[in-house]
Amino acid sequence: MTTDKTAAVYEVLSPWAEADPVPQRGLIAERPAELAGKKIGLFHMWKRASKPTLGVLERKLKGKYPDAEFSWYEESEMNVPEIESRNKAQYEDWIREVDTVIFTYGD
Amino acid sequence: MYDVISAEESEVPAVGLIAEGFKDDAKSAASSRSMPGARCIPTIIPPEATKMEEIEAGVEDCFEDVLKALTSPLTTAEKSSEAKKVEEAPRIIFKGSLDDINLFFYRRGWTDGFPVVPPTEEKVAEMLTGTDLPPDTLLGKLLPRQGKVTVEKIAVNAVIAGALPTYLPVILAATQLLLDSEMGFRGYCTFGVSTGSWAPFWVINGPIRNEINLNYKSGVLSPGNIANAAIGRAIGLVIKNIGGVRKGIEDMGVMGNPMKYTMVMAENEEESPWEPLHTDFGLDREDNSIAISFPQSWIQNYPPANEADAILRSLLNHLIPGMMHTIIFPPVHARTLAAEGWSKPDIKEFIRENARMPAPGRAVEIVPLINDVRTLRVMVAGGPGAFIAQAVGGGPTPGKAEIRKIELPKNWAKLVAKYKNIVPDHLRY
Repeated sequence: MTTDKTAAVYEVLSPWAEADPVPQRGLIAERPAELAGKKIGLFHMWKRASKPTLGVLERKLKGKYPDAEFSWYEESEMNVPEIESRNKAQYEDWIREVDTVIFTYGD
Repeated sequence: MYDVISAEESEVPAVGLIAEGFKDDAKSAASSRSMPGARCIPTIIPPEATKMEEIEAGVEDCFEDVLKALTSPLTTAEKSSEAKKVEEAPRIIFKGSLDDINLFFYRRGWTDGFPVVPPTEEKVAEMLTGTDLPPDTLLGKLLPRQGKVTVEKIAVNAVIAGALPTYLPVILAATQLLLDSEMGFRGYCTFGVSTGSWAPFWVINGPIRNEINLNYKSGVLSPGNIANAAIGRAIGLVIKNIGGVRKGIEDMGVMGNPMKYTMVMAENEEESPWEPLHTDFGLDREDNSIAISFPQSWIQNYPPANEADAILRSLLNHLIPGMMHTIIFPPVHARTLAAEGWSKPDIKEFIRENARMPAPGRAVEIVPLINDVRTLRVMVAGGPGAFIAQAVGGGPTPGKAEIRKIELPKNWAKLVAKYKNIVPDHLRY
């Protein structure tokens, strides 16, 4: 005689952790109607495609908006949010100076 | 996405360009930083692309989307300040047969692919005899999901993994190490989600090794011992089900790593001629501890002779600049080295002195490959035989969250007596 243990019924606890609802830190910023005349920030990080991708974007944006200005910023520490990096103050100054920013390959 | 969010918080409209395979990862990152509406544009440009024609084509493909992300008005959802709801997780989640439970857990993405032990109230209560902490004790919130790390939730994952209650103090200490981990390139969260497929590697020292039957002899990193198997498996499930690190969603390891199933070992302190690993970190020999690193891989090296010079020089071929190295000598080589007067600090210094490489970008200049001997760990494990193991990869910044003392419950002796005899009794042929 064998026992079919798979026929037993189990009530089981969840392994998935509870988490607090994700509060909004704030809304994303209102967008300008267009980029003409704006100062566009270009932020690149360490991955290889990051800087050349922004270079191509800058060229195309300059073609479309000849009076736009551009300002570059390089990530200071790998995989550390720039706002938490050793260059926090410098980053905050830079962000204040631009009207909009494009980041490439950050997560 | 963290940088996109910091710009938006400064009221500067921003967009992140993300390689399309990382879209889910980017969404999880934005959610965990409380701005799920942050805008990102998937692109067809691989993050490591170097061919300009590929990059030009990728920018051409996403250019209009980038303009829209920077200029299109906020949608109704983006204007809503309502907190994003998280999935409800009732304590009792399912009722069914063993097969039903396995299918349910697998379909929810809560397993590592192996069958599970059903975490019933009874099994979880038994697991909790391994700690004096109340089940609802909140140890912290584990990144990236910020899942609440309660003692009970750790116990549930430990049951699923097939752990015994005597392993719970180890699993709790390991989880604490993850919670203590630093942000950035040397932290657990980066190693957990990185394309580099870094695997947590746990080394256990102290009397607890024998009390819970951890293997430190022959086949120390092979399957076959519940403790080595279930402790690593349980921590892997904690990372997945509490930290929210799922393969291909948050864990973007390109190749993955079989060491993520479990990579747990103890040191063979009994056959080591040196003081054990945990004493290098200031702990006492009688303390129980667990240490962490994040190797990508490990190799086994067979020195050309059992003489100190041959053994030490064989190590030099398997080092990678900037990485943490754990060198595991089998007892035979450890004895030879010690007999010839080599201490662990001597060995580390030998490696620092002799491991050389061309300076990056300046091939004529030869520079040390190891700059900080604290990124070298030396220990003894394994059975009879002459292979040396070298685990190579990442790890915490030396001095930060590298090791943790394991706290035992008051009923420890009784608990050990109850579970100590669970060992294989192999038939001989």
